[in-house]
Amino acid sequence: MNYTKEIREIATRLLESGQVDMVMAWEKGDQEYQTIPFVARTVDEVNRIVCDEYAVHNLANHLLRFRDGKEKIAIVAKGCDSRGIVRLLEDNQIKRDRLYVIGVACTGVKDPLQAMKANSGFERKKDQDEGLASKCLYCIQPNPVIYDELVGEELPLPELQGRFARIEEIENMSVDERYKFFEDILSTCIRCYACRQHCVACNCRTCIFDETRPQWVGRENNISDNMMYHLVRASHMAGRCIECGECERVCPVNIPLMLINRKLIKDINGFFGPYEAGMEYVEGNKPPLSVYRENDPDDFL
Amino acid sequence: MKVLKTGKLEQVIDRLAQQADVYVPMLRGQQSGFYSWKTYNEDFDDLMFDILNVYQSPKHLILPQTEKMYSFRQEGQEVSIEEVAADIEPKVIMGIRSCDVRGIEYLDEVFLTKGYVDEFYKARRDKITIIANACYNPGKNCFCDSMGVSPTDPEAADVIMREVNGGYVWDVKTEKGEAITKQIEDLLEEQDVELFSLKPFLRKVEYDGVAEKLKDMFEHPMWEKYSEPCQTCGICTYLCPTCYCFDIQVKAWGDEGYRFRCWDSCMYHEYTQMAGGHNPREAAKERFRNRFLHKLQFFPERYGRPLCTGCGRCIVACPTGVSIIKIIDEVKEAETGA
Ligand code: SF4
Ligand code: SF4
Ligand code: SF4
Ligand code: SF4
Ligand code: SF4
Repeated sequence: MNYTKEIREIATRLLESGQVDMVMAWEKGDQEYQTIPFVARTVDEVNRIVCDEYAVHNLANHLLRFRDGKEKIAIVAKGCDSRGIVRLLEDNQIKRDRLYVIGVACTGVKDPLQAMKANSGFERKKDQDEGLASKCLYCIQPNPVIYDELVGEELPLPELQGRFARIEEIENMSVDERYKFFEDILSTCIRCYACRQHCVACNCRTCIFDETRPQWVGRENNISDNMMYHLVRASHMAGRCIECGECERVCPVNIPLMLINRKLIKDINGFFGPYEAGMEYVEGNKPPLSVYRENDPDDFL
Repeated sequence: MKVLKTGKLEQVIDRLAQQADVYVPMLRGQQSGFYSWKTYNEDFDDLMFDILNVYQSPKHLILPQTEKMYSFRQEGQEVSIEEVAADIEPKVIMGIRSCDVRGIEYLDEVFLTKGYVDEFYKARRDKITIIANACYNPGKNCFCDSMGVSPTDPEAADVIMREVNGGYVWDVKTEKGEAITKQIEDLLEEQDVELFSLKPFLRKVEYDGVAEKLKDMFEHPMWEKYSEPCQTCGICTYLCPTCYCFDIQVKAWGDEGYRFRCWDSCMYHEYTQMAGGHNPREAAKERFRNRFLHKLQFFPERYGRPLCTGCGRCIVACPTGVSIIKIIDEVKEAETGA
């Protein structure tokens, strides 16, 4: 995937005409495999913009920084990122008319972090290429679901295999086995909260984990506080996670967070569905757990 | 020269583990760090003396992420306070690289010098023996020599292992090192070997003059510019071998509870949150600037050296590609009024 040329043209046009105040895209970092978020504010900066195979970041999260402003913002959005934009619109975090969405039909991206790690000497050398980012393997929508302008040809929907295979295996464990499984993976979380910081669905102004009076979740690094953190975060993600994979990608200790998220996705779809979060923007729409309906199922309570 | 043959490495660790808790670099599942030899499981763990470094720096062995300080109980009008017994087992950190040894040297400065000795820190530190693993082959993002660290001669090491063909030269540096060598002497062999020479660094940075220059750069536009992608996630500070910020908190139930300290990070909003609701470092820019000013200006002003050992972890692990090398370069190049 390389839309650099197209995005630069669009960015130039939008900034020149004053239609937008900034364009959120990417630029190259120090290494050839490093692509990093970049905001262009002038036409002069446009030639720094890239949109290449390492454009993995969900830029929608970055919109939060401007939620109280008035700037008009153009943002480049892949399929998953566009669902992140829907997340923010449904959550009333930003107004649709402040955005100009440059949608890109995405053929999959690679993760610069993986490449960075593989090349740093911090891992045993792997010979094979990292391949696509893990989120891309289970992508349900490579095309942007909301856009003002589309770059690239709309792609056929992928035929997914095994999106929930691991989840089903875990569902089939006994209660004790399952508890042990989650205890094992969560005991090594270092509670840096990076998964929250990089998540577009984590858009509360004051996060429950930062509240100190009262402090809902303790700051000790032990299994009970770790579990509490992940349980609470999971319940806040149910029906809201748009499967962009950023949380799992950034985690410095590789906690398999998408297992938790995919379980939620599967269950929300099962109980309240058919439902996939952020697949279209209809003004006033809310995710299933954000509204009460008389016929909501409750037999799992 | 005394040489430890690769084939005897595990035997040496076993032996040392009889008298101390030995921490060695391992790849454990998807994670890498220093783990206790007691927990080594050959089916899951991969001993990693032969790779450059591990992601999680060993600082948690001296500055645990969570550490109980004392417990208390209210009895009528009285409060009884009980110190948490500092029953600390001796530890050996084995296979640690120069950059991380320097990290410990900086922690020592903070917790042991300038008129205040942190007893919790001291109790741990005194019982730690450091067996470093000299580097002859710097990684792609290593720049320790630019930050004044010698990759082959870590200062605070008690023993330095020097990789040679077929094993390691066992280079004893201190009394602690001698003591530990006694336990394993019979496993070492006397041999003449040739040491590798240090390969050139791929990354360099000019730190000279940066601290001085930063004094006039608090309001410089570079902070706005470089903090733009930063999500203030704190990964850089949690992985860094030198970042030492902590918070003191309390857990209480009914009439009793305990106080503990835990890691904290200047990248977090809550870190500077004040009681009245004001936050002087409200946005990413201010927090980001603080991280670099602390490392490159405030710390050198107090202790004479920058709070960065050039280990490269923050560069490798930052999800948005922030690089301290770039920041230093930028400061060097910046035009200031002064
Ligand atoms: S990013 Fe990883 S280590 Fe950090 S809080 Fe999230 S799961 Fe834990
Ligand atoms: S929970 Fe993870 S996958 Fe879901 S929206 Fe947040 S960052 Fe993306
Ligand atoms: S510099 Fe990178 S790792 Fe550090 S807080 Fe910012 S985004 Fe996170
Ligand atoms: S600031 Fe970065 S390079 Fe320097 S010691 Fe810390 S993690 Fe290593
Ligand atoms: S920064 Fe220096 S001491 Fe640390 S791993 Fe790299 S070469 Fe070795």
